[in-house]
Amino acid sequence: MKKIIILTTVIFSLLWSCQTEKKADEKQEYLRWVGDIEKNEQIDELEFKVCNGYDKILQYFNLGKGPVYSGEKSKILNTFKSKYQPITDKNQNGLIRIRFIVNCEGKAGRFRVLQSDYSYQEKNFNKEIVSQLLNITKEIENWEVFKRNEVTVDYYMYLIFKITDGQLTEILP
Amino acid sequence: MKYFNLLMLLFAFSSSLAQPNCEAYKYYGDTLKYEACKKAMEIKGHYQFSKEYQTVLDESIEIDPTFDYAYWAKSIAYLKSGDFVTWKKLIDKAVEYNPKEHLGYRGWCRYQFFRDYKGAIKDIEKLDSLVDYDIGQTQNGTYHLNIAKGMCYKAIGEKEKAIAILEKQIKLNEEENFVGAYDYLHLGVLYLETEKFEKAVETFKKQSENNEVAENQYYLAMTYLKLDKPTEYKSCLDKAKELYIGERRMTDPYSNPMDKIYLENIENELKTAYNNGYK
Repeated sequence: MKKIIILTTVIFSLLWSCQTEKKADEKQEYLRWVGDIEKNEQIDELEFKVCNGYDKILQYFNLGKGPVYSGEKSKILNTFKSKYQPITDKNQNGLIRIRFIVNCEGKAGRFRVLQSDYSYQEKNFNKEIVSQLLNITKEIENWEVFKRNEVTVDYYMYLIFKITDGQLTEILP
Repeated sequence: MKYFNLLMLLFAFSSSLAQPNCEAYKYYGDTLKYEACKKAMEIKGHYQFSKEYQTVLDESIEIDPTFDYAYWAKSIAYLKSGDFVTWKKLIDKAVEYNPKEHLGYRGWCRYQFFRDYKGAIKDIEKLDSLVDYDIGQTQNGTYHLNIAKGMCYKAIGEKEKAIAILEKQIKLNEEENFVGAYDYLHLGVLYLETEKFEKAVETFKKQSENNEVAENQYYLAMTYLKLDKPTEYKSCLDKAKELYIGERRMTDPYSNPMDKIYLENIENELKTAYNNGYK
């Protein structure tokens, strides 16, 4: 009898903890800004540094120049065109966003991936597609260095890849 | 063009113009929406991306979960950060509660940020079917929504349909003396791509008078090449390069516009011209 009581208590407390976690998940705690990427030592490269502090990271469009790429966007397009190996698969359709920080030296880090189908519903693409895009993005050595009031800044940047039948059809922004 | 520039100036402050009139809700007896609206106005002075801005809007939605403005305002930061999943959930709510107000916006954003051509067409056409007034401009003021729709048709391969839409809307814009910054350029490129070269030249010349940009001279050069006019071809390429370096080119604060070209395109074409003896 005692064992049954203990077991029931354990099961109930487990269920309760799962429920609480779900509730906490529903009411999202905001970071400083939407889209902020906190450092995760388990996945982020240790040598990547933000120059001016977490609170001063801007967005790529805050400087009014639009999406600017080192060597212009055509260089990015050529890089992916030459390196990406398409995975022909009728089920691989949608959008993949890779968001990251560009620091004051034009180096990128803290890469995060978001994936959805063309109806904007989250999904997981074939891992080979995602890892290729992530690796090619990480291999880009230089991003545009932005300055504000003559001081070089850190900023968030992202690339969105449109995938149709496993083919890379467009890169945004 | 004069009026266009004035409009662009107004659109630059559009976030403040887009605020709802809370008193109107009170006047019509919708006290819940009035309270939600008053709460939402507390976003003033906070950055769209900030925790404070988002929290105020959450509180506004708690007061009235059908208050479309709060969903729309919340969605902007997600749109600009490229979070298409969260953005879509929020903007769908805004459209659900006020389709006439937000369908055109959602359609334009689908195109501008995610190149979701079919989704953009669907939204703009839906809006058109719901209202009996002019569906108006895109959020940034660059285009009439019909021009944006035409560009989406081009992107999905329906070029003749795109031409018909652009021709019709540009004619209306001309009557209003309100032609968009790149309207002629997009139409000219469509003519070039469908081998209507004489019409393309005529249209690019109109773009030059309206708003000269490097892209216009580049595509004009490519048209002259097709028409076997080497002197004009080379001269336009030189002009394109000069304009590009002088930063007279197509721009958008968030994305790269359709038909945009890069310095590399112009220089490669200049090399080809040189190698073919066009000096």
